[in-house]
Amino acid sequence: MSPRPLAKINKIDPAELKMLKKRIDIAMAVIIFFAALLLTRLWYLQIYHGDDFAKLSEINRIRIQQIAAPRGNILDRTGQPIITNRPRFNVVWSREDAPNPDAVIKDLAKILHEDISVLLDRIRAATENPRYMPTRLKEDIDWETLVTIENKHLSLPGVRIEVVPSRDYLYGDFASHLVGYLAEISPAELAEKRYAKYQSGDQVGKQGVEKIFEEYLKGEKGRNYLEVDVHGFEQRQMQLQEPFPGNDLHLTLDIELQRAAEEAMGDKAGAVVVMEVNTGNLLVMCSTPQLHLQEFVGGISTTAWNKLLNDPLNPLLDKTIQGQYPPGSTFKIVTALAAISEGVITPDATYFCGGSLNFGNRKYGCWKKGGHGTVDFHRALVESCDVYFYSVGMRLGVDNIAKYANSMGLGKKTGIELEHEKGGMIPSTAWKQQRYKEKWQEGETLSVAIGQGYVLTTPLQLCRMTAAVVNGGTLYRPQMVQSVTAPDGRILKTFAPISDGKILGSAHSLALIQDALVGVVNSANGTAKVVKLPDVLIGGKTGTAQVVRLTQNEGLSGNNIPYKYRDHAWFTSFAPAEKPEIAVTVLVEHGQHGGSAAGPVARAVYKRYFELKAGKQGETTAEPAPSLPKDEKEE
Amino acid sequence: MLRFDRRLLLNVDWVLIGAVLVVALIGLANIYSSTHLYKETGAPLYLKELTYYLFGAAVLLLIVSIDYRVLLTLNYPLYVAMILLLLFALVFGRNVSGAQRWINLGFFRLQPSEPAKLILVITLASYYYRKETGKGFGLLDLAVPALLTGLPFILIAKQPDLGTGLLLGFIFISMTLFVKLRWATLATLLCGGLSVIPIAWKFFLKPYQRQRVETFLNPENDPLGTGYHIIQSKIAVGSGLIFGKGYMKGTQGQLDFLPERHTDFAFSVWAEEWGFMGSALLVICYFFMILWGLNIAISARDKFGVLLAFGVVSLIFWQAFINLAMVMGLLPVVGVPLPLISYGGSSLLTNLAGLGLLMNIRMRRYMGSS
Repeated sequence: MSPRPLAKINKIDPAELKMLKKRIDIAMAVIIFFAALLLTRLWYLQIYHGDDFAKLSEINRIRIQQIAAPRGNILDRTGQPIITNRPRFNVVWSREDAPNPDAVIKDLAKILHEDISVLLDRIRAATENPRYMPTRLKEDIDWETLVTIENKHLSLPGVRIEVVPSRDYLYGDFASHLVGYLAEISPAELAEKRYAKYQSGDQVGKQGVEKIFEEYLKGEKGRNYLEVDVHGFEQRQMQLQEPFPGNDLHLTLDIELQRAAEEAMGDKAGAVVVMEVNTGNLLVMCSTPQLHLQEFVGGISTTAWNKLLNDPLNPLLDKTIQGQYPPGSTFKIVTALAAISEGVITPDATYFCGGSLNFGNRKYGCWKKGGHGTVDFHRALVESCDVYFYSVGMRLGVDNIAKYANSMGLGKKTGIELEHEKGGMIPSTAWKQQRYKEKWQEGETLSVAIGQGYVLTTPLQLCRMTAAVVNGGTLYRPQMVQSVTAPDGRILKTFAPISDGKILGSAHSLALIQDALVGVVNSANGTAKVVKLPDVLIGGKTGTAQVVRLTQNEGLSGNNIPYKYRDHAWFTSFAPAEKPEIAVTVLVEHGQHGGSAAGPVARAVYKRYFELKAGKQGETTAEPAPSLPKDEKEE
Repeated sequence: MLRFDRRLLLNVDWVLIGAVLVVALIGLANIYSSTHLYKETGAPLYLKELTYYLFGAAVLLLIVSIDYRVLLTLNYPLYVAMILLLLFALVFGRNVSGAQRWINLGFFRLQPSEPAKLILVITLASYYYRKETGKGFGLLDLAVPALLTGLPFILIAKQPDLGTGLLLGFIFISMTLFVKLRWATLATLLCGGLSVIPIAWKFFLKPYQRQRVETFLNPENDPLGTGYHIIQSKIAVGSGLIFGKGYMKGTQGQLDFLPERHTDFAFSVWAEEWGFMGSALLVICYFFMILWGLNIAISARDKFGVLLAFGVVSLIFWQAFINLAMVMGLLPVVGVPLPLISYGGSSLLTNLAGLGLLMNIRMRRYMGSS
């Protein structure tokens, strides 16, 4: 009768049925027994002991209050604190606690010098929160207000003072782009996996080191177990789990040096990067104008934010890693290295500079209108002769230049552990074909050879490149953190130098370039004579990056050109020349001339660096010199 | 394939359907009460649960329309599928608070240990049906079913989900006791079982699991740690008094004192808001459903039906009893949901499928043999 796939199955055998029935009866008895047990227990809990539990539910309400952990400190490479914490006092209010909220809020508004509507708005915004969760009415009140509220404690039921650790910026806007800032976690972030343990209202790193090393810095929240009554008044503290402070972050930055750089930049927009040439550690990361970190504490106001957004000096941009500029003549280092290494020229081969070079039907000018005359390799770099590099670039071809530039870390991100780094641009024939579906024009090679045209670099890239040229050819990954230590001083993590490979080019050609770069600063015709220091031999290269075609402002000079059309000024350098320790790269936006605008900033940094070094060696003579890579060759 | 028989309609089990509906409505209302304050992204939980209910009803209808005897040919494929799913969950599963229990299907997060309970019931019923009892099972005869239970038990306990693992053990014991055991076998097992407990305590249980049992024995020792659940739940249940604090007015539940209040501790919310009257009603409803299930078992047309129905009843009974005893502070907190009341799609679908099997068996009790 049943369809096919069913197993052949017989009706139950009466004898067996009888037996099974007996067992079902036993099962029923067991189940009824368990049911009775549960009902008895219900009766016991809800009726026999019901009043006791009802009382407990009235008075024994354990409330768990979270206590924010002090965030880890951020220190410089000598262990000096840069950013620490201070207590901040917020006014919070629990709806549950207040029998007559309107009067309380009215009184409170007077004390806080706030309009009552501001407070009511905040309360309204929080209606979705669980009832017991206090609403924050005002952040960071001053000492006087705090005392007033504490005194009127009894007439302000439901109002409490919450103490929250907050960031204290000991050096103001010091390295503001690099360290970043904190703000309340956003709903979007709360949905992210990495913030799974956070709650709304928590502070979280939003940018820079504060964001990237959040995991280390944040610490563990504490918990305050409170017994509260039916109106929410605290009865007693049951247990206090102290918060555990976050770990300290030791940056590679040097407070003194960074401040020297920031001071030297003054109100100029631009960037200063200082790197240890043999480790890749960054001693200075300065982008101006700086962010006023204090404005971000407790949330930045909309007007302040809009002001930042619309500022022509673009303070929100971290110019060290996000600013992309044509490198100008500093790029001649790349062209020079490629030319010597590829054998396109010998150091002694000369070109004649008559002030311009005709190519196709265009005239390519040298910055020195009268011309340099006969120039060899050394002089071409020292005096930054454009015509020499036009000729050399033409013989190299753009793809050869690109090959060397790429090996020197240009045209791609340096890999520094910061967000939103830009990679710059190194053009090639293949790139142009792909990007514009056009053939590469020979004339464009001429622009590339002197760092104009499509070429774009960030200050960090140039600094790293300079370091590699003078350290024997090793391209180090830029790093800004030395180590992470626990609050008890234990070292949790250290950051060893990371090599990203060798740059192309022979040691011989590197030495030739290094020699010429010393000439740039120290010879009579050098373009960066202003940088020269009495006791230390510095080497470097100036650069002037055109923002627009010169013709547009032909005839105008200096300050007659509108600010936004003025050229960017570059200076990238190293010292001491005999045994380079640091590389300094300076960019001044619209600073016009590399030597005169960017040079003095670098000079100030070197001055401070060697002063500090002399001071330190005075104290501790046992200071070991930084070790050089084994393959370092100096000629 | 599907031959429609009018007698099927005549034998629809309206009593069971009625009981399930009552419990389901209580469950949904209760989930609304305990979760309406939650700020979840996406659909509110009670709407999700309602969706699971509708989906579950469709599954139930499907199961009812196919003769349960098909399971005698499907039992091993089902068993293999279950083991594979459990393995998959263990290896690739989504980690939620330290346990690998979920498989993400995109639209639904499946907790394979839930259907595993029902599949074990089907497997054991088929095995015991096929195996002739004769004078009763000896120790050796139990090796195969013990193995069949042990494999999913290990996979689930490894997740780690000891509660569900133990539930499989209870189902195995209930069904084995139901078919005939020799007295000697029973005695041996009893002694063996008792001697294993201390060893398991020492080597098998994880520290947190041991702590839970210890806390259960003496919750006041650790009022803020693991004892917190038990104390808060007892306060919730007890403070309900006779008539409760009123729907959505329970302080324990609404003010966040009760943990897991829409899942494992859903009954505490109900008991707090509806008092002894409401909780007794729910308990009676449940046990009526369970006793009715036994009635279905004994009136089944064949022995497979009897065993299957008994297995399903034991599944629902043990879950309900363990959960209720747990929230009332009679058993340690082990994380077993209350069927049809606790929030959770996998559990709901499994229990509705089980109830579907019961209805299936009921409807076909007058069918002749093939």
